[in-house]
Amino acid sequence: MATGTNGARRAVSLLRPSRLDFGVCRSCQETIGRRNYASAATSESTTASTTPSSSAFPVVSPVYTINAGVVLSRPPQITRDLEPFEKAYFFYQKRLNERLALPFTKYFYFKRGTPLDEDWKKKIQARQTPARDIGKYNAYAQDAWNDELLLGAKESDPEYQVEQLVLDAESTANATSQDTSKKEEIPRPHPRVTEADKKGDQKSLNRLLPRTLYLLVQSKDGYWKLPSTPIQTQETLREAAERTLSQTAGVNMNTWMVGFHPAGHHVYNNRKPHADKVTGAESHGEKTFFMKSRIMAGQADLSASAEKLKDFKWLSKEEIPQFVTQQYYSYIKNMLADR
Amino acid sequence: MAAREPSRYLARGLPRTFVPSARSQAFLNRRNVSDEAPARRLSDQLEDLETASSLTTSVSESAASSFDPIARSKTRKTQLPRGRYQFRSPKYDRGPLHPHQPPAPSDPSSRLFVPGPFALPRAEQTYNSTVASDILTLCYVHTPPGFKPPPKAPRLREWDDSSPYHKNRPLRGPRGGDVLRLLRKPIKFNNIPKIERITLHSYVKEAAQDNSGWLHVAGIAVQAISNVRVETFKSKASVANWSLVPGRDTVAVKAELQGENMYHFLGKLIDVVLPRLKDWPGVKGSSGDSSGNITFGLEPEQMALFPEIEVNYDMYPPKMIPGCHITLHTTAKADKDARLLLSAMGIPFYGKIVQ
Repeated sequence: MATGTNGARRAVSLLRPSRLDFGVCRSCQETIGRRNYASAATSESTTASTTPSSSAFPVVSPVYTINAGVVLSRPPQITRDLEPFEKAYFFYQKRLNERLALPFTKYFYFKRGTPLDEDWKKKIQARQTPARDIGKYNAYAQDAWNDELLLGAKESDPEYQVEQLVLDAESTANATSQDTSKKEEIPRPHPRVTEADKKGDQKSLNRLLPRTLYLLVQSKDGYWKLPSTPIQTQETLREAAERTLSQTAGVNMNTWMVGFHPAGHHVYNNRKPHADKVTGAESHGEKTFFMKSRIMAGQADLSASAEKLKDFKWLSKEEIPQFVTQQYYSYIKNMLADR
Repeated sequence: MAAREPSRYLARGLPRTFVPSARSQAFLNRRNVSDEAPARRLSDQLEDLETASSLTTSVSESAASSFDPIARSKTRKTQLPRGRYQFRSPKYDRGPLHPHQPPAPSDPSSRLFVPGPFALPRAEQTYNSTVASDILTLCYVHTPPGFKPPPKAPRLREWDDSSPYHKNRPLRGPRGGDVLRLLRKPIKFNNIPKIERITLHSYVKEAAQDNSGWLHVAGIAVQAISNVRVETFKSKASVANWSLVPGRDTVAVKAELQGENMYHFLGKLIDVVLPRLKDWPGVKGSSGDSSGNITFGLEPEQMALFPEIEVNYDMYPPKMIPGCHITLHTTAKADKDARLLLSAMGIPFYGKIVQ
């Protein structure tokens, strides 16, 4: 039995490329091609005596098509939504601060006898604390220990707090203005959920404001991908990426290319090598190197795209796996931001 | 048995030889830890942590509405003695063997406890979501496999032993001055420059000449815009024209901002104050202490643009509002990196950029 297995092992190892060593275990032999630093040094030292002309990195013909890709992203526009625990924690800390901090120095902020002072007196009577966003709570009273919110209370909600601040400013403006005939309107902040979110418009750049959005285009075959085109000769990766962006998504965008190095790559292997009809060169697939880019203004426009792209979408990281293949996503996911 | 074993090895081994390269197969077999990392939502992690959280458990409507802690405490016939629920930390440290030990500073009953944080500042979120990853991409330096950086001269020079007195002498500093610059390491994921702290410093020379009111106003103004208690400093220099005597006159206030206060201040500075400055070209491109800290100044009328001072501007004596120096301390080891970080955060620079 032992002789039989050993014989088969020896036969297999004889069929393997001869640069591999017998003394190396099988799992290491598989990865030895990509161990550049150590294996290059050792192989150089061993081959130097036998064949000095052969180098550690043999020049192979480029059998892959090299593409330049662009990860065009719109950074988050607003702060993220707080988790329920964070809301509760921040609110707890605010009330705790109210109990521990020095009292509010009213006379530094409100001159006696002014309308602002009268307004302040009314308000402090109502909410019992100078802070406007912690609800009704007296930090110096006997029952100041009762600082926890009951179930269903809205006080820890940021939307509620913003509304309270706006109402407070409005009532102050109304109480102190000379003209009592018309009511003051303090502008509310813009909603965090936009029209595009409600409509589910994935082409709009105004959607998902707390998230990073990425531009994905649909090729004429129906596949979704990040914009990419083959690199032409005598062209750097950065130039190719800029050309890709203008060719695929149009020139109606104000973009900024981040640095000169790719942030990620994607390798696609063909089932069988394709032979080019014109040159006859074999292609084993394509390798795409993605440059990072930010959009400042404008919108994608596919009408003049050279690749006859069908469609484009601005997607967050969570939405991208629905459109691209699993293999493609496994390559690109680590260069997409968490938020 | 023996007949079957070799065929298995052959069947497993043979196709490998006909694969074009070992590399493509190696990629297919490779497994990364990140492949199996779960989606990182804080809510999911919290659910894993504790299923019976007060945030998630459902309570019946009647139980929730009828719960009134104040009324419940009033129905108690005898109240708890104060010492049972209100712990007071000892005022003095009486050593580790004393039975009455102070609680940890993170305990709210500790005298050292500082409440907070109260919010997630926007500037911090911008840094984490956008700026940090962009800096990492911008500062990437590609070193091909097998690359060895050229050897550098030692930072401290040795004596050349031309004299017998050189023996056992300490090493010499670098040429052109004895300041040993910080070592700048390549920027990787674990040393992306970030803002460490901000110092507001205001020197009021009138505090020595006129009266202490100048210093009080300066302290209140700096405190108002920074939300940090200020420290005061006495003069070290002797200036006869300003009638300054070292060690006698208190002439400066300083506030050190860190964490949440720092990011709130930075947000206000970048989004509210700096855009409203008239004819302000930006921060000078040559500013910086060559180890990643950038300083610039604000004039008194520019200080008044902070919303905290604007809201009750009348309460400050207009002449006494101070100017201040703002130092942005970053973890960058060179001014070049600090400027990259600060301009990404939104602080403009002008003029010749000195690296």
